[in-house]
Amino acid sequence: MADFSSVLSPREGEIHVIAAAQHIVKALGANKNLDDDLRKILSQLDGHLSAMTLLTTESRGTGFREVEEQLKYAEEKIRSWESNQFLLWDSDESDPLEASEFLKTIDEIQALIGGLRSLSVNGNGKQKDLLNRADSILQMAMSRLEKEIMHILVKHKQYFQPKNMSFRSCGMDVLYDESFVSVEDVPSEEELRRNSSGKESDEYIFDLIHPHVIPHLKSIANVMFGVSYDQEFCQAFVSVRRDALEEYLVVLKVEKFSMEDVLKMEWSSLNYEIKKWVRAMNIIIRYLASEKHLCDQILGDFGFVNPLCFVEISKGSLAHLLNFGEAIAMGTHEPEKLFRLLDMYEVVADNLLDIDALFSEEAGTAIRLDFHELLRSLGDSGRATFLKFGNAIAANVSTRPFSGGGIHPLTKYVMNYIKTLTLYCNSLNVLLKDQDAADSNPVVEPENGQGDSSITHCQMACHFRSITATLESNLDRKSKLYRDGVLQHIFLMNNFHYMAQKVKCCDLRIFIGDEWIKEHIVKYKQHAMSYERATWNSVLSLLKDDDSPRFCSASKAIRGFTIAFEEVYKNQTGWSIPDPELREDLQISTSQKVIHAYRSFMGRKSSSINEKYVRHSPDDLQNYILDLFNGSPRILQSSRKK
Amino acid sequence: MPATDNQGSFLNRISIRRNQVVSMDGNHEQELEDLELFQKHVADRFADLLSQSEDTLGDGLLSISWLRKLLDVFLCCEAEYKAILLLGRDPSQISKPPLDKLVPEFHDRVVKALDVCNAVSHAVETVRHYQKLAEIAVTALEQRPIGDGQVRRAKKALNSLMILLEEKEGSNHKLTERAWSFGRRSANATTSSSKDRATSASQFRSLSWSMSRGWSAAKQIQAMSSNLVAPRGGESSSPALPVYIMSTITVFVMWALVAAIPCQERNGLLTHLPVPKQLGWAHSIIALQEKIAEEWKRKKEKNRLAGLLEETQRIEKLGVSLIEFADSFQFPPDADRLEEVAVQVAELGETCKKMDEGLMPLQQQIREVFHRIVRSRTEVLDLLDQGGKVTAPIM
Repeated sequence: MADFSSVLSPREGEIHVIAAAQHIVKALGANKNLDDDLRKILSQLDGHLSAMTLLTTESRGTGFREVEEQLKYAEEKIRSWESNQFLLWDSDESDPLEASEFLKTIDEIQALIGGLRSLSVNGNGKQKDLLNRADSILQMAMSRLEKEIMHILVKHKQYFQPKNMSFRSCGMDVLYDESFVSVEDVPSEEELRRNSSGKESDEYIFDLIHPHVIPHLKSIANVMFGVSYDQEFCQAFVSVRRDALEEYLVVLKVEKFSMEDVLKMEWSSLNYEIKKWVRAMNIIIRYLASEKHLCDQILGDFGFVNPLCFVEISKGSLAHLLNFGEAIAMGTHEPEKLFRLLDMYEVVADNLLDIDALFSEEAGTAIRLDFHELLRSLGDSGRATFLKFGNAIAANVSTRPFSGGGIHPLTKYVMNYIKTLTLYCNSLNVLLKDQDAADSNPVVEPENGQGDSSITHCQMACHFRSITATLESNLDRKSKLYRDGVLQHIFLMNNFHYMAQKVKCCDLRIFIGDEWIKEHIVKYKQHAMSYERATWNSVLSLLKDDDSPRFCSASKAIRGFTIAFEEVYKNQTGWSIPDPELREDLQISTSQKVIHAYRSFMGRKSSSINEKYVRHSPDDLQNYILDLFNGSPRILQSSRKK
Repeated sequence: MPATDNQGSFLNRISIRRNQVVSMDGNHEQELEDLELFQKHVADRFADLLSQSEDTLGDGLLSISWLRKLLDVFLCCEAEYKAILLLGRDPSQISKPPLDKLVPEFHDRVVKALDVCNAVSHAVETVRHYQKLAEIAVTALEQRPIGDGQVRRAKKALNSLMILLEEKEGSNHKLTERAWSFGRRSANATTSSSKDRATSASQFRSLSWSMSRGWSAAKQIQAMSSNLVAPRGGESSSPALPVYIMSTITVFVMWALVAAIPCQERNGLLTHLPVPKQLGWAHSIIALQEKIAEEWKRKKEKNRLAGLLEETQRIEKLGVSLIEFADSFQFPPDADRLEEVAVQVAELGETCKKMDEGLMPLQQQIREVFHRIVRSRTEVLDLLDQGGKVTAPIM
């Protein structure tokens, strides 16, 4: 400001007082912690004081010259900066003092304008002319500031680096074998993945803009808002920040797909995109917390403008994430999609509170609602997929018996599938609870009196038992395809054993319960016993002491037994018991039974047996029995020769 | 049923019998009645839209309020359509001719409509940007006394607005340009190679796509309408007809949105939708379609397609005139001229207010349409799922 105190006049004292007051006002205005209203009041007061000075000095005819001088001075300064190609807040090139000088000059112009304006009611031509010039300079300065903020925002942008966020590359991996046709016990990677991306619980704020320029941005914001150039400020700010977020989505490799693209996409690519999406969701919500912080820092003093700008920055990018999610939820309900659907469901559910907090203001209502809607869609889709999985098991039809009576791929698939599902216990329970509440026919427990732990009574546990029951009845159906009733037992023994084993040695045990395991152990043991009985009782009955005179010779009995044994051997070497322990157990108990009977028969009848009928020694038999259930049919050549 | 000639009603009678045999229920009379009512409602609703389109006070054809009404009509028709399609119908009927073909076709169409909804919703943001620039002009020019500063401020905003409005179809080079200017500027300080700049520029360009690369609203509309064939003969009664009606409405509504809001790639947008003229329920739709097409062609000649939305057109017109004022402005201003301008500024302010109040609800309504379409599709598919036995893989 010009040095008003140098003007000598009868009202010198008054002018001094005004100048002093103005000084105080300015000093107060320099305080950074002022709130909006107070700042406004001070700026108005400043204007009024300037006006008073003008009025006082105008009466002497010198005031406007004074003002004109000041304007000219300010104009020169602004113009000189304008011609300077370097930006004021370019930390490498510019002098920080110059920047504050620039803002100070704007302050002065603003004060002059305030003064001139409050006179304008009865103002004359000269005063209007000055006001015009002042406004014009101000506009020039504002236009310059608009460029400056964009420059600062772009130049000092920092790439978001999430804390504790696993940046494990998500390559094109197909980790879970998702077809009914070939399934092995693979999916431990699911567990790895879920353990590695532990949730980031604490609030983490990253500086998206270098902290040392925040005060500059803040002071530019204050100046621009102070002279009602807030719209320009917000536009510049929003557009740069919005682009930064969109760019970050590119960094996260989130691609833009139309709904149609997603619905037509092959599962392997979709799987990959979903993984990227889940990761991006997690990170973007963290990112937005930092973005919100940035908005608060710069726009925090300006009321509703702050949330409005924040919403505008985030809206477009979130729309992409939302639409992808909706498209996935719209897809068909193949069982293999369930894990990815639940991943998506969980990432939205886990972040929902944060989203609600970020967009708590009215401006963010639509975004908030959209995410709640997405959670619902994903949940519905996940539930439908899970239920369809059950139906698919029931509906799975075989036309030919599964060769060798081994473990059916369906059994492996189902057991591995539900084993993996235990990782999603909480979400699945929530989803199924909704379903069972809405459904008048909730899942009927196939067996009652499960263990005492409450977890075995949770929704998921009930559904699991119902699924295994469905599987069992399907296996029963499949077993009927074997023409050989004995092989039915082997098949069911194998499959039940697999199920029990699977449950026993993983988390499934907690859900399905020990009671279930016991029952299933009993079941497969029963089938083992039935097998022995059905196969060997008739064979061994040939060795019984038969006193009937017509058919009495022990040699004949031995011959009969040998033929029967060789027949069994021919059949059952082709059968398969994949589990070595189970196979061994069955071989041992068979051995004990058969060899014992054979030996004792030989011992009893050693005298009456013609040696030529004895083709196999007990030891031979023992070895032959070890050939059973290995899945490769063999023939005892000796029987044909002799 | 409107516009039925002798042959039509004869065929109807045949189809009534046939359907009675097929469905074995007595509901068929009811169904025909519902269908007739549906056609009447569709006709009435679009007749309403047609009469509102005559409004000259700013809420006429392709204004925000008209579009919102159009979306309301869509939602009403959709609800009624779904009731007709699903209520009291044996789900297995949907998997039999003619629905077994028509319903999946309809679903293909609505998925495309979803993408159109998203593209338009995104483009509403562009229109909001027009609004914001216009608002700056209003703020500046409302100030009194008005001087060079205010006028320059307004002109700056309006010039940006005009550049946006002039943008050629499909291109959105604003971002690219900015990326370049920053690249240039920071080249002083940083040592980014020209190759870096080129990649960053192309990256920016890809950002400006709202949809996937190569997605085109015009092609989408084309694809939606390509297999739209009016049911004939026996099929012209339930249940092929409601599917056809709803398809036509969907195509029309999406087409109107694309015409009004400058979304991604509108080059070659159809100006004629294949709706047969003789159908009673379609009269108003055809009339509206012709009016919009007329407007489209008129604007296309002037290469100013961005502003088909009534409010945008108004902003554009006022903007041009205010730029003229700004160009010829000299201080001190002429009082008469200032009064003229004040009227225009007031109108511009009024339009901005309308946009401020209407665009967000419009965007939300588009989202509502989106969700509705998704849900209806899911409902029908679920029904089919339960009805038809799941064909499981044979092992």
